[in-house]
Amino acid sequence: MTPARRTPIFTWAMIIVWLVFASVPLWIEKVGLYHYLGVEILIFALYALAYNLVLGHAGLPSFGHGAFFGVGAYAFGLAQFNIAANLWICLAAAIGAAAIAGALVALFISHRRGIYYALMTIAFGQIFWFIAVKVHSVTGGEDGLLKIERLPVDLGLAAFDLTTNVALYYFVLAVFIVVSFLLWRIVHSPFGRVVKAIKQNETRARFVGYDVWRFKAAILVISAALSGLAGGLFSMAQASAFPDVMSLHYSGYVVMMTLVGGGLVSFWGPVIGAVAFFLARDIIGSVTTGWMLWFGLSFVVLVLFKPEGIAGIYQSLMQRRAKASAPAVAPNAQGR
Amino acid sequence: MSFINLLPHLLNGITLGLLFSLIALGFMLILGLMEQINLAHGSLFALGAYFAYALCAARLPLPPDWLAVWAGVPLIWRFAAAVIIAPILVAPFGLILERLMRRTYGRDPLYGLLLTFGVAMVIEELIRVVWGTPDYMLPVPQEISGGFIMLDLIWSTYRFWAAGMAIVAMAVVWVIVERTRFGAMVKAGAHDSEIVQALGIDLTKLRVWVFVLGTMMAAFAGVIMAPLWGIRPHMGVDAVVPAFLIIVLGGVGSFWGAAIGGLLVGMVVGLSSAYASEWSMLSMYLLLLLVVTFRARGLFGKKSVLEV
Repeated sequence: MTPARRTPIFTWAMIIVWLVFASVPLWIEKVGLYHYLGVEILIFALYALAYNLVLGHAGLPSFGHGAFFGVGAYAFGLAQFNIAANLWICLAAAIGAAAIAGALVALFISHRRGIYYALMTIAFGQIFWFIAVKVHSVTGGEDGLLKIERLPVDLGLAAFDLTTNVALYYFVLAVFIVVSFLLWRIVHSPFGRVVKAIKQNETRARFVGYDVWRFKAAILVISAALSGLAGGLFSMAQASAFPDVMSLHYSGYVVMMTLVGGGLVSFWGPVIGAVAFFLARDIIGSVTTGWMLWFGLSFVVLVLFKPEGIAGIYQSLMQRRAKASAPAVAPNAQGR
Repeated sequence: MSFINLLPHLLNGITLGLLFSLIALGFMLILGLMEQINLAHGSLFALGAYFAYALCAARLPLPPDWLAVWAGVPLIWRFAAAVIIAPILVAPFGLILERLMRRTYGRDPLYGLLLTFGVAMVIEELIRVVWGTPDYMLPVPQEISGGFIMLDLIWSTYRFWAAGMAIVAMAVVWVIVERTRFGAMVKAGAHDSEIVQALGIDLTKLRVWVFVLGTMMAAFAGVIMAPLWGIRPHMGVDAVVPAFLIIVLGGVGSFWGAAIGGLLVGMVVGLSSAYASEWSMLSMYLLLLLVVTFRARGLFGKKSVLEV
């Protein structure tokens, strides 16, 4: 028996990601971009990290995650209008509503995987989207839920105003740090190990004695809840909530981000993917209106030749270099 | 609402159902033989509709004098040409897609899903780049459009034509799948690809032809559906979701499963639109939930790749 490897609580990659993001407002305008882009990237990085819990860590291809993101966005707005205009209550509502939606979906699909899982999540995504478009009195239909306010952060002793994009950015960053740390712990907890085992071989995991259904349901609920949190933050950033984030296209975008960044092999892959996605949108988009065409084409090429994504390319480059310099050292790239 | 008043809704439902069946059948043939879901199937359907529009409205990248000659052809002939030519024009897209999908055969179905999803996005963007975002209506020749009165009700002529054309296409597919050597090979290949290969059948070639057949069926359905739904970039999504729903409903690997599943979905949508037209598409999903809860393999299903 070899003793189980202990996962470090903090890693260099984690601290570097946090520090880089913390420095963004200092230079983003100097390179010709804008603060709001940073907010968008950070929110979608959070969303993609939460999504990757399902795709990368559990191996369950969900193509309907936009539903949870959207439910979170609407719940944030509705809580603000109907319950209380308090940031913490609204964020809790976003998380709670998305978790309930996730639990509902999990009830129907947790005994599935592979193609069937993908198709059922598409169907559920379409159901939520359809309802959001049609229940005009609650969601505002196609026009969306407007006039959502950026609520101040009330910490009891002090309160911060989030109306500027920089202030909002730092608040989202704080949430991002907490959530990414939590996710890191979840993935490397005994629970996370079981989920990983289920991904590798579901039948074997069942025979070892794990209640596979429960683990799969739980991972979807956690992922949905955190996607809802991202959705709530996004509705605050946009000052509104629209049904199109729930469409199959937006559900697909998060899949694309996660895969392009390297979510299948790396914990931080989805973050890289979110950055790549928005930079591609703004940079290719400034040259041609059909930026999605080019992003989609590169996605297709990546799936065909390097489904491990950007993080995978980096890892194999590092491996090649390590092999060239010191053949005896086997770099442990997994989990970084 | 009396029964008579429901008849037009029922007819709408049957027309819709037949077209859904056609899309679903192509989807199923590909699923059976490749063991991969083609999420881009709806995009092929959309391409069929757009090509039909280009042909019928005479908006083609041709020299102006040729185009003038083409535009001078009566609409009924242009429409008839579109029904046949549009699927042929879409077929090469299917060929390219099959070529790309080869890398994913035998691997985790996740890669096939991701690949075809990416391709669906690319085709949709391609449509946006070429035709822009506005909705188009396919011009329908006078001879088969308009309406007539029967039993004190107004009936749309085109729906009868659409249903008729869908039935003819389904019959052709039935003959191909159930009565030819090719069909036997396809079914055998879906059942046990290893044995089929051991018998000396070229599975690679077979897959190409099945993909072309499925692609053309989707494109044909797109042409016929275009006057009913209108033509818009995201119509592919609206078609691919019912298609897989029908597969789940009817079960994988059965011609009649897909046919009856399609009719069921069509009729549920058609009839619920009589009562709540806004919500008719939701009824389809409720039907799906009912079926997967109580009969996971669908009405006629056998064990399939969906259950891995």
